[in-house]
Amino acid sequence: MDKNFFVTGTVTYAVKGREALRRNGIKAYTQRSFAADRIGCGYGIVAVGNIQNILSILGKADVKVLDVKSIDNNSN
Amino acid sequence: MIYLDNAATSGIKPPAVISAVGTALRKYNANPGRSGYKTAMDTAYKIYDIRTKIKDFFGADTEENVVFTPSCTYALNCVIKGANIGYGHIVVSDIEHNAVMRPVWKLTEEGKAYFTAAKTYPAEPEKTVQSFKNAIKNDTKLVVCTHASNVTGEINPIEKIGEFCYEKGIAFAVDAAQSAGVIKIDMKKMHIDYLCIAAHKGLCAPMGTGILIARKPLADTIIEGGTGTSSLDFTQPQDMPERMESGTVNVPGILGVGAGVEYIKQRGIDNVYNHEMRLAKYLYKNLTENKKIVLYTPFPEEYKFAPVIPFNVLGVPSEKTAQYLADKNIAVRGGLHCAPAAHKKLGTQNTGAVRVSIGSFNTKNDIDYLLNMLKFI
Repeated sequence: MDKNFFVTGTVTYAVKGREALRRNGIKAYTQRSFAADRIGCGYGIVAVGNIQNILSILGKADVKVLDVKSIDNNSN
Repeated sequence: MIYLDNAATSGIKPPAVISAVGTALRKYNANPGRSGYKTAMDTAYKIYDIRTKIKDFFGADTEENVVFTPSCTYALNCVIKGANIGYGHIVVSDIEHNAVMRPVWKLTEEGKAYFTAAKTYPAEPEKTVQSFKNAIKNDTKLVVCTHASNVTGEINPIEKIGEFCYEKGIAFAVDAAQSAGVIKIDMKKMHIDYLCIAAHKGLCAPMGTGILIARKPLADTIIEGGTGTSSLDFTQPQDMPERMESGTVNVPGILGVGAGVEYIKQRGIDNVYNHEMRLAKYLYKNLTENKKIVLYTPFPEEYKFAPVIPFNVLGVPSEKTAQYLADKNIAVRGGLHCAPAAHKKLGTQNTGAVRVSIGSFNTKNDIDYLLNMLKFI
């Protein structure tokens, strides 16, 4: 299964996204992030599962996703 | 003390609210939007849960709509100044608190807006709605209306005002300082775009807690600063609610708000309102039997009035009456209540009035004690 980091920016979106994913049976937790090349400090969600499915759930919950990074490559 | 100044702040906080503040200081004592360690994240989850409770309680759309502020006044400033109406027209009621009038007046002085005060008619909602309709102009961008007056207690027909604002595409803001937690509010049903709340009043939360629920984005912020996000960018982030919450939020206060919402839900908001109104009607009826008392408002009919009654003792300045009652261990407020417009309408701008404002913890004994003391003034 893919494990990815979904960059949300705000902690509110991160928590909201985590709740939406868990309601849909997807393992997810929030994490602080730092992207020196982009926005600086922020938050995101670590989630396991198909990226498109996860993005669809987050989209339906009106959670903004700024970026998706493979968990091995992200700079958290 | 017999506390009858609940329009200023709820004088007795429920044990669950006090407990929640203590819990915050012991268990959630980390900044909720700045770090990723356990206590910080647990605090962030707790704050999010409370946003959800508030969203559901007031019929808002999403958690991001819910912004924590230091006061209702702050929330109103965020809306009135942040709406950025571009030299447009604002309609207010003629009984607004200075929390509305001063920011509106400042915009007027700066040449950024002009305003009309629509006349309200206590206990005559149809006439009040028509008055607001008549005040609307082609360039009206914002209507700001108190839900319940902090001086007269009259309830404005915000559902009907919201309905025509929605039809006309005009932003609608409600000052719910006196009504939130006392009278049911459903933002979607009432077409309220911006709801401004003094959580320390009807919701029995600690002082220093306010809420802005913004269903529409606001063009400008009134303060900018750290949000824990997008830190490389000096431009204030757009994402709500962090956009409006620069600086560390009041975590103990917010946990108190959450407990306050639960307290009102458990008691039932209609039960709270009916209890307070029973006491208000009892007080009003008995005040009419005291020949020394001057009353300024009609009999407080249910859902036309909030439990606030202004009066004076014939020939006695309001502050003197308030001090006399303070000496008898009764807390009420004299003067103009930061709402000169409402007092001008009552004809009490030169004398002020004594305001009795009833809360969820008051009893008939409290009212009887007040009535007895007023016999001897």
